[in-house]
Amino acid sequence: MKYIAVILLAWFTVNQAGKGIYVCKNAAVSLYSKAPIEDIDARSDIGTSVLNIANGDVAFSVPIRSFKFDKALMQEHFNENYLESDKYPQASFKGKLTEKPDLTRNGTYPVTATGVFEVHGVKQNRSITGKLMVANGAISLTSEFMVACKDHRIEIPTLVFQNIAENIKIKVTAAYIPYK
Amino acid sequence: MIMKKSVLLIALLFSAGLLKAQTAKTDSATSTDSLMKMLNVPQKGEPVIATFKATRLILSQTTETVKKNELNFLVIHRFGDIGGSNGGGKTLWGLDNSSDIYIGFEYGLIDNLNIDFGRSKFEQLLELGLKYNILHQKTDDSMPVAVTLIGKTGFKPYHVNTTVFDYYANRFSYLAQAVFARKFSRALSLQVSPMYLINNVPYPFIAGNEKNIFALSAAGRLKFSKRMGLVLDYVHPFSSFRNNSINPKFYNGLGVGIEIETGGHVFTINFSNAQAISEFNYINDTESSWGKGQFRLGFTISRIFDFNRKHKSNY
Repeated sequence: MKYIAVILLAWFTVNQAGKGIYVCKNAAVSLYSKAPIEDIDARSDIGTSVLNIANGDVAFSVPIRSFKFDKALMQEHFNENYLESDKYPQASFKGKLTEKPDLTRNGTYPVTATGVFEVHGVKQNRSITGKLMVANGAISLTSEFMVACKDHRIEIPTLVFQNIAENIKIKVTAAYIPYK
Repeated sequence: MIMKKSVLLIALLFSAGLLKAQTAKTDSATSTDSLMKMLNVPQKGEPVIATFKATRLILSQTTETVKKNELNFLVIHRFGDIGGSNGGGKTLWGLDNSSDIYIGFEYGLIDNLNIDFGRSKFEQLLELGLKYNILHQKTDDSMPVAVTLIGKTGFKPYHVNTTVFDYYANRFSYLAQAVFARKFSRALSLQVSPMYLINNVPYPFIAGNEKNIFALSAAGRLKFSKRMGLVLDYVHPFSSFRNNSINPKFYNGLGVGIEIETGGHVFTINFSNAQAISEFNYINDTESSWGKGQFRLGFTISRIFDFNRKHKSNY
């Protein structure tokens, strides 16, 4: 009897680790840059994210092919020439939240995630700021940050230089659901 | 006995605690990863893009279509013979002459269906056609090739070499074509294309010439940088009249060139023996030979204009 009690107790404590995990399968990721000739503006709605409140883990991933542009040719060049999506199909971030906001109360909490940001096969250590929002138990995360093409070996040939900005603004929005 | 029991209990407790510690450790390190892996179900069988950079190579049309509400404006030029009796220094190696000039428009009715119109200098040919990309190559090889069907009508509106063409119906030609292309790697794309050409009156109008010709073309592109590649293009008409004819003598079209992409434009700079740009002319009537120096400099400029209405930016 005692054994069973002990084993059960141990088992319960082990399982406690599974609490406080949130996931999102339809995170919106958009990129934008202003350039003299044409603005670049694309959006994906199938980004994925995991947020672990218990240990502060936060992860994002988005398939490069899922970005939709207004101009089909721009979308083709984005995949074929710049991001090389056949070689590097995903852009991702994996890090830890510095702050541990109390998510039982409604509010908007500024957060900072420090970790590894990977685009075009190049990993960069980044600290990215965002906002964690709690509204009646619904948790969402938004973030806006800049990515420099040269940091990720995204080459802009001199012939088309004026068409493309060297810094791209990224906006991420994820609405989470608890993971069961 | 009691001693044994308590030792066992302690051992169990200890191991449970260890188990917990281990699980917790692996949890923090991998549970986010494994969860992400689970969420990111790999997208299977996406269509392969950019098999070719443009709708044209040198002689051949590719499997590529212009997308919905886009207009592709084409200027294709062939200069005169570089060598042979019509070439050399007196014509600045053919640059003084233009054996053919083609102005073309290709418009995307939907992403995979284009309506194409063009006009050639060679025989003042007008042509109107449809091009439909019916199958896309898939990244998981569930579809190993892209297939595009082309149908077009050619019409020679003005006086041509013989009086036979005075009757208008005699000036029409028709082409049915299927293009099979595969992107083997980032650099290498190859295509083969059977074509069937129907002329209402044989062209050129010589006794024994066939009205209908079956032809096969093979073409490829090998990229040597992200935006530049080597292009090779060959067409073989299966025509016993052309094989046996002594005067004029017919040759198969062969072109070699460099393709350069600069964003909105794709340029091809090439050398070919075929004088004409349109299938209606070069399949029927290529009378110049690489061997005799009767090849020429040529170029293709392809420029895409986008007429899609922009969505409102959320910035």
